[in-house]
Amino acid sequence: MFYRTAGQFKTDYQSDFALFPVRQDAWLLAFILLLAFVVFPMTADEFTFRALLIPVLIYSLAALGLNILTGFAGQLSLGTGAFMGVGAYACYKLVTIFPEINLIVAIALSGFFSATVGMAFGLPSLRIKGFYLAIATLAAQFFLVWLFQKWAWLYNYSTSGAIQVPNIDMFGITIAGPNAKAITQYYVVLCVVAVVTYLAINITRGRIGRIWKSIRDMDIAAELVGINLMKAKLLAFFVSSYIVGVAGALFVFLWRGAAEANLFDIPLSFRVLFIAIIGGLGSIMGNFLGAILIVALPVLLNTVPHLFGLSISSSAVEHLNVMIIGALIITFLILEPHGLARYWQVIREKLIIWPFPH
Amino acid sequence: MRKLIRAAILSSAVAVAGIASSAALAEDSITLSNLSYRTGPFAATGIPLMNGQRDYIMMLNDRDGGVNGVKLNYEECETGYSTEKGVECYEATKGESIVTQPWSTGITLQVLPKSNVDKIPILAPGYGFSAMQDGKTFQWAFNPPASYWDGASMILSNISDGNLDGLKGKKIAFLHLDHPYGKEPIPLFEQMAAKHGFTFLPIPVGLTEMQNQSAQWLQIRRERPDYVIMWGWGAMNAGAITEAVKTNYPMDQFIGIWWSSLDGDLKLVGDKGKGYRAISWSLPNSEAPVMQDIKKHVVDAGKSLINQGEGEFDWVFYQRGVMISMMLVEGVKAAQEHFDAKVINAEQLRWGLENLNIDEAKLEALGMSGMIPPFSTSCSDHTGHSGAWMLQWNGSKFEQASDLLTADREAIDALAKDGAAKYAEANAPWPVNEECKM
Repeated sequence: MFYRTAGQFKTDYQSDFALFPVRQDAWLLAFILLLAFVVFPMTADEFTFRALLIPVLIYSLAALGLNILTGFAGQLSLGTGAFMGVGAYACYKLVTIFPEINLIVAIALSGFFSATVGMAFGLPSLRIKGFYLAIATLAAQFFLVWLFQKWAWLYNYSTSGAIQVPNIDMFGITIAGPNAKAITQYYVVLCVVAVVTYLAINITRGRIGRIWKSIRDMDIAAELVGINLMKAKLLAFFVSSYIVGVAGALFVFLWRGAAEANLFDIPLSFRVLFIAIIGGLGSIMGNFLGAILIVALPVLLNTVPHLFGLSISSSAVEHLNVMIIGALIITFLILEPHGLARYWQVIREKLIIWPFPH
Repeated sequence: MRKLIRAAILSSAVAVAGIASSAALAEDSITLSNLSYRTGPFAATGIPLMNGQRDYIMMLNDRDGGVNGVKLNYEECETGYSTEKGVECYEATKGESIVTQPWSTGITLQVLPKSNVDKIPILAPGYGFSAMQDGKTFQWAFNPPASYWDGASMILSNISDGNLDGLKGKKIAFLHLDHPYGKEPIPLFEQMAAKHGFTFLPIPVGLTEMQNQSAQWLQIRRERPDYVIMWGWGAMNAGAITEAVKTNYPMDQFIGIWWSSLDGDLKLVGDKGKGYRAISWSLPNSEAPVMQDIKKHVVDAGKSLINQGEGEFDWVFYQRGVMISMMLVEGVKAAQEHFDAKVINAEQLRWGLENLNIDEAKLEALGMSGMIPPFSTSCSDHTGHSGAWMLQWNGSKFEQASDLLTADREAIDALAKDGAAKYAEANAPWPVNEECKM
């Protein structure tokens, strides 16, 4: 009834393979984009931008990058945090060496640095699989964070060992640094995330995406039907690390404003991995749902006692928060091991046949 | 179900009443928020400090009804020492609070550039950037009463009995957290080592190896340094002290910064820690009138969160927390007086913190003479450079072990000026206080 697909006939293959074969999906997306581009910016205050909207988008992008590698190509990686760091430090060096560079260009370029590094650390994937590969990427994690600390050139020899984002203008508007307004940063992040997501959707449902999926499902069979495993796996590492690097550059330049090497340590990798797993491996939308659960929900829960005027000490709230989020994650994973994206699919199917049970 | 609904209605009614009453209270109050960390890997060091800060303000509210008739609203926002949560807390509190107390060098780094835009003072007593002493450049940041470079210089002057050339040919190991905080004093040490001819050996401890420092202490055993100076925090302090005891490193050659003087860490080793020293700009004195008032109004009234079984009341950290809140409250008082206002805003507090004058007479009046050295701030000096004492562990508590030490101003001021200029250049356009002629 709400999601009636009856009567939407496809008369050629092209329309059958369209991005949204069902009209309601397109409307839903249009509605979400309307929320993101118009409604949120008009209603949100600075806290909402800086603590909810911007981090959710950036974490979604990082998880999307990881999901291409783990969810689509089936290569488990624990080095996401470090690859984000490569993107961030590359962007920092680009911006400080060429102060005239357009920040968006710098962010797009810094993705190539992390893509190259990611591909280099992806080489072991040609020989080893599964958990063993995860350990190899863990090596990348430790090595790169160590490098961020020890290679003083990366942070321009500052005594604190941290990188600071200077004020950066684009077309006369400050988009990064302390003088930037939250709303401009939000729009920049939103546009980058929207463009990358659009590209990712099309890569994953096209020829390359199918190659990746075939490797994930059974690599020997894929090789037998003539897929070049080396090329495909390295391409997966390249694309994934590119997106992760862009997310890392956004992470520091359009959100945090400053970063030290420890920021990119293993907890960040795990956080992104959790988002991808809870959102749903092998799904694009899942990353956004996962990020909302892992990043935004704790912030929202923190404000609940205040709304009701309860005076619970903030540390008690924090403890409660950890417990609630942990319980939710376990509940979701028990009820639906394939993640939040699968939930949406189930709901959508139910809506299509509603009010009939089958 | 009906019961449940009734309970829900009842609780929301209570909540609404609560909001209404808090709105009525809000008329004459000043909100002072604190980005605390009572959870996470650094909670052990955070909790006594936060308790001290909280209890001093609670005592003022109870004893004097606040400051000049204005209630002080002390609020905590939990960060768990994570910079990410820190930014969230900063954004959440900056609307109401007139001050931000970031409580971590990492969070200070994040909020420092924003303070010029948001116009809210940062109070980072005894931590943050040492270059923050340059008040002309860092208009909104305050780190009274002493900076890390002060601390490093005073430790060196103490171990050399005032004559740094006496350190010639000696080897000093610097055991530090591999983090902006631990790296902060390295430039000063390096400069001093070159000038006075001692060997400086930095030994970093990564965040993941805080609890297990066997590799670092193996290196110390091999190198046999004459002194080990420690810049540790949280679990790292306890790890280093137990490891030093295990390797039989002479405790009287082991000196920590003020954040490495947690009683609880030394209680772990007890008598074996005898002789360990730490520099400190605060001196615990549980008999001081202010501490007695806190005992009467807060602790005995059951409003404090301290662990009385552990004797937290007597700890260096707890009483240092009291000193920190004192500085903040004195800033509020100075601003109230200058602007002839009761409820002050963030910009007025900035003036107050810039014109702190903590002299002997004021300390006496506050009932805390001898607990902190006198100091004063100005528009060009946001630190005050009070000097500090050496504390020594006697097996059961810290005792004063030196007269008031002072730092090598000449070397530090030059370094701070340089650091501030570099920071301003890297973050251009950075506003500098042109009005300050000092």
